[in-house]
Amino acid sequence: MTSVRYDNATRTYEGTSVPAVDALDLDIGDGELLVLVGPSGSGKSTALRMLAGLEPLDGGSIRIGDRDVSNVRPRDRDIAMVFQNYALYPQLTVADNMGFALKQAGVPKEERRTRVREAARVLDLEPYLDRKPKHLSGGQRQRVAMGRAIVRRPAVYLMDEPLSNLDAKLRVQTRTEVVELQARLGVTTVYVTHDQVEAMTMGHRVAVLKDGVLQQCDTPRKLYHEPLNLFVAGFIGSPAMNLVPVGDERPLRLGGSAIELARPGDAALAEISGAITVGFRPEALQVGEGPLRAKIRTVEDLGSEVFVHLSLEHRGQPLALVSKMMPPFDGEPGDSIGLQIIGATHLFADDGSRVVSTTATLQAASAPAGVASDASPAAP
Amino acid sequence: MSDGPSPRVVGESRSVNGAFGLLAWVVGLAYFFPVFWMVLNSFKSELDANASPKLFFHPTLDRYRDVTKSTTGLLSFGEAFTNSAVVVLVSTLIVLTLAIPAAYALAIRPVAKWRDVLFFFISTKFLPVVASVLPIWILAKNLNLLNTRMALIILYTGINLPLAVWMLRSFFREIPRELIEAAEIDGAGLKGQLTSIILPMAAPGIAATALLCVIFAWNEFFYAVQLNPVQGSTVPIWVTTNISTRGDFLAKLSAASVLACIPVVLAGWIAQKRMIRGLAMGAIK
Amino acid sequence: MNTTLGTRIAPRPLGLSESWRRRLPLLPALVFTILLTQVPFVMSIWYSLTDWKVVPPTPRQFVGLGNYGKLVSDHFFRQAAWTSIELTVVPVLGSILLGTAFALLLDRKFFGQGLVRTLLITPFLLMPVVVGLIWKNQMFHGLYGVINWVIEKLGGTPVEFISRYPTWAIAATLIWQWTPFMMLIILAGLQSQPGDVLEAAKVDGATPFGIFRQLTLGHLRPYMELGILLGTVYLIQVYDQVAVMTGGGPGSTNLPYFVFERSIGGGWDFGRASSYSIVVVIASIIIATVALRVLSGLLKGEEIA
Repeated sequence: MTSVRYDNATRTYEGTSVPAVDALDLDIGDGELLVLVGPSGSGKSTALRMLAGLEPLDGGSIRIGDRDVSNVRPRDRDIAMVFQNYALYPQLTVADNMGFALKQAGVPKEERRTRVREAARVLDLEPYLDRKPKHLSGGQRQRVAMGRAIVRRPAVYLMDEPLSNLDAKLRVQTRTEVVELQARLGVTTVYVTHDQVEAMTMGHRVAVLKDGVLQQCDTPRKLYHEPLNLFVAGFIGSPAMNLVPVGDERPLRLGGSAIELARPGDAALAEISGAITVGFRPEALQVGEGPLRAKIRTVEDLGSEVFVHLSLEHRGQPLALVSKMMPPFDGEPGDSIGLQIIGATHLFADDGSRVVSTTATLQAASAPAGVASDASPAAP
Repeated sequence: MSDGPSPRVVGESRSVNGAFGLLAWVVGLAYFFPVFWMVLNSFKSELDANASPKLFFHPTLDRYRDVTKSTTGLLSFGEAFTNSAVVVLVSTLIVLTLAIPAAYALAIRPVAKWRDVLFFFISTKFLPVVASVLPIWILAKNLNLLNTRMALIILYTGINLPLAVWMLRSFFREIPRELIEAAEIDGAGLKGQLTSIILPMAAPGIAATALLCVIFAWNEFFYAVQLNPVQGSTVPIWVTTNISTRGDFLAKLSAASVLACIPVVLAGWIAQKRMIRGLAMGAIK
Repeated sequence: MNTTLGTRIAPRPLGLSESWRRRLPLLPALVFTILLTQVPFVMSIWYSLTDWKVVPPTPRQFVGLGNYGKLVSDHFFRQAAWTSIELTVVPVLGSILLGTAFALLLDRKFFGQGLVRTLLITPFLLMPVVVGLIWKNQMFHGLYGVINWVIEKLGGTPVEFISRYPTWAIAATLIWQWTPFMMLIILAGLQSQPGDVLEAAKVDGATPFGIFRQLTLGHLRPYMELGILLGTVYLIQVYDQVAVMTGGGPGSTNLPYFVFERSIGGGWDFGRASSYSIVVVIASIIIATVALRVLSGLLKGEEIA
C-alpha cells in the first residue's frame, strides 16, 4: 500500500525569491495515476523532482507510504522515474539499461535476467535486448525507459513528460498503453505533462499548478465542469473557455446584449461586488440564430466538429470568442452572424475565484449602438 | 560545436575558394618551415648543416647516434627520457585522480559556490611561477627534494591540476543531466556513477585532458632546471646539454630536438580536434 | 505487485549532510592546490619584507617595505620591467592578429585542410626550449641562419639578430609559437557561429565582407578577448626562450629571468628577488582581474539548476 503525500512542500531555487513550488499539499492514493499539469514554469517538474529526491525541500515534507522521505536519498526512496529524454545509458545495451538498477542493488544475475525478460515481453522489447539505445527508434527508446522503471517494481513511478518526444500519432497510441500498463501494475504513479489533453485523458485525478501554487486537484470531469478559478478554467479545455471581463455594471452585458442568468446565478450575483468575468465553453456558444451579432474571423472545420472564431465589439474593445459547432457549418469569414449562449456559464469574481455556475441567455439588444458597431470592421 | 568547417562557402565562386586554399597551403608550409628544416638538419653532417642551406645531401643517422650515446658523468638521453617519462606519467595520473572527483563536484552535483571555486582554480594559473619558485626551492631544499623526481612530480601535478579541473568540468557538463539523475535514482552512488556513466561517456575528454597535462609536463623547463639541475633531470635539460661552445653543433642539436619533441608532437597531432575543444570550449561552454 | 522480493533498498538516513557530501570530492584537489600555490605565495610576501642574502650568508632581517622602496630607483629592475612589457605586448598582439588570419584561412573547405591545420598547430606542441634553440641557431644565426642566407641572396648584409635585436628576436620566436594557440581559439569561435544566422544574412543580401564585419567580428570578440588574456598571463611568465636564446643578454632580461638571476641564478639576494616577484604577481593580478571578469561574463549564461 503506497500513498504519497506532499505536506506543505516548498522549494525555492538559489538566487530566486519566489518559490518554484510553494507550500504544496497533495495526497496521492495507492495505485492512483495522478497527473501534474501546468504551463512551463508552473513548478510541476520541480514538484516531481522533489518527490524523486533530485531537489531538496526548503520546507514541509514528503511521505511515501508511512515514511517521511524528505531527507532520504533518491536511491533509497524506492521509486523509478521515466525521463523526458529517456536518459538511457548510451554505452549499455537495452537489457543492461533495464537491469542497471537491479545490478546496483545487488540482485543476482539470474534473477536480473528473468525480470528484464519479463518486462521486455510486456513491452514488446524482446528482439531488441542486445541493442544499444542509439540503434532504436524514438518509440522503442521510450519503451525501454518505461521498461527500466517496471523492472525495479518500485513503490511509485514518476514520469516526467515521457511522451513529449514522440510524434503526435505515436503519442496518442502510447498514451493509451501507459494508462493500461499502469492499471495492470496498479502502482501509484505521478505523471507530469504540460499538455492538458494528455492530463485529462490519462489522469485519475489532475493537479493543476501555476507559479508553484496548486490551483485545483480533481477528476478531469470536475476540472472541466467546475473549475475553481479563472486560471484552471482557461487552462483546461481546447479550445479554451471564452472568458469575458464584464466589469462591475449590472446587468451583465456581452457586447450590446444583456446576459440573463438562471435562478441560482442571479441570487449569487447580487452577493458579489467588483469586476466580474463571465466564462462559457465553446460548446456553450451557439452561432446562427441569436440576439447578438458578431463577425466570423476564421472557421476551422475538423470534420467531426467545427470551431468558429468570432469577433465582436465589447466594452469599446474587439473581443475574440470561439464557438464549437456540429458540422455542417456554412458561414464564411467576414459574415455577420447571430450568437446565443446555450450551456453552462461561470461567474468569476475579481480575485479569479469561481462564484457560481449556472445557465444564461443573451437578451435581445436594447442598445442600438451595439448593433451599429458590428458593422464596423473587426479590429485585429 | 561542429568539428567540420562552417558551411559559408556557398555562393562563392570556385576560383576564389581555390585561391584561398592555395594561400592556406603556402602559409601552412612556410609556417612549418623551421620544423621541417630542423628535421632535415638532424639527418645532415655538421658540415652540411652549417653550410649554405641545401635540400640535397647524404642523409645520415649519425647525429642520432651521437646524441643518444651515453658518456659517463653527463646526462644521457636514456636517463633524461626515463626521468621525464616517470615524472610526466605519475604526475598526470595524480592529476586525474584528484581532478575527476573535483570536476564532478563542480559540474554534476555542484557545490554551493562552484563558480568561486572554479575561479580559484583558474586564478592560480595566473599566479606566475616566479612568485613561487624561491619558496619552493627553499622548501624542496629543506625537505631534501632537490634533484629528485618527487619534487617535479608534485610541482607538475600542481601546474596541471587547475587546467585539468577546468577542462574536465566542461567535458562532464556535456553529459546529459538526466542520465546522472537516472543513475542516482537507480541506486548508483558517486563511485557507481563515475564508473558506469561518467567515465565511459567522458572518456575522450578525459584522454584529451590527460594529453594536455602530458604535453605541459613534458615541455616544462623552468622548474626542472631550477630544482633538478644535477639529478633527475628531464628531457628539456638534456636538449640544452647538446649545445656546445666549441665547434659546430646544429645538426646534433636538431637530432636531439627531434627526439625531445616527437612524443608530444605525435600525440598532439592525433588528438588535435579534441584539444581544440578542450582548450577553447573549456572557457566558452 | 510482488513485494516479497528482497530487493527493496533499506531506508538509510544521511550520514553526512548533503552539502558536505557534495564538497567531499572537491577537497583533495582544493587542498592540494592551496598548499602548492598559496603557501609559497605567502612565503614570498614574507621574504620580500626581509633583507636576506644567502651568499654571502647574512642573517635575515625584517626591513618592511624597504625592498620595494629600492625598486623605484633600481635601473636594472626598471629595464627588466620594460622588457617584460615588450615581451608580453608584442607577442600577444602579433600572435592574435596572425592567429585570426590563419583561422579565417582554415575556416573554409579546401583540399588538405586537416593537413594544413596540422602543420600550423605544430609550433605550439614543440618544447619551448627547442623552439628557442632552433630559432637562435638555425633561423637567426649570423653565419649560417636561414634568414641571413635569404638576406644575402637578396643582396643584403647579414644581421646578427640575437646580439643586435635580442628582444625582437625573442618576441618573433614567441609569436611563432603562440600563433597556433590563438588560431585554435579563434577557430573554435568561428565554428561555433550559428550557420542559420549567416544564411539569413546571405539571403538578406549581405556581402561576404559585410557579414564578416557586422556578424563574425562581433561573435569572435569574446574569443579574441579570451585569447589575449590567456596569452598575456602565460607570456608575462616567459623564461625558457629568454634563458636559452640570450641568457638575458643585452636588454632582453625580463622580470622572471631577472628574479632568477638575482636569486638562485647567482645573486642569492632572496629578499630583493622576492620583492620583484611580488611585483610580477601584482601585475598579473591586475591582468587576471580583467581576465576573470571576462571569463565570468562567459560563464554567466550557464546555469546549474
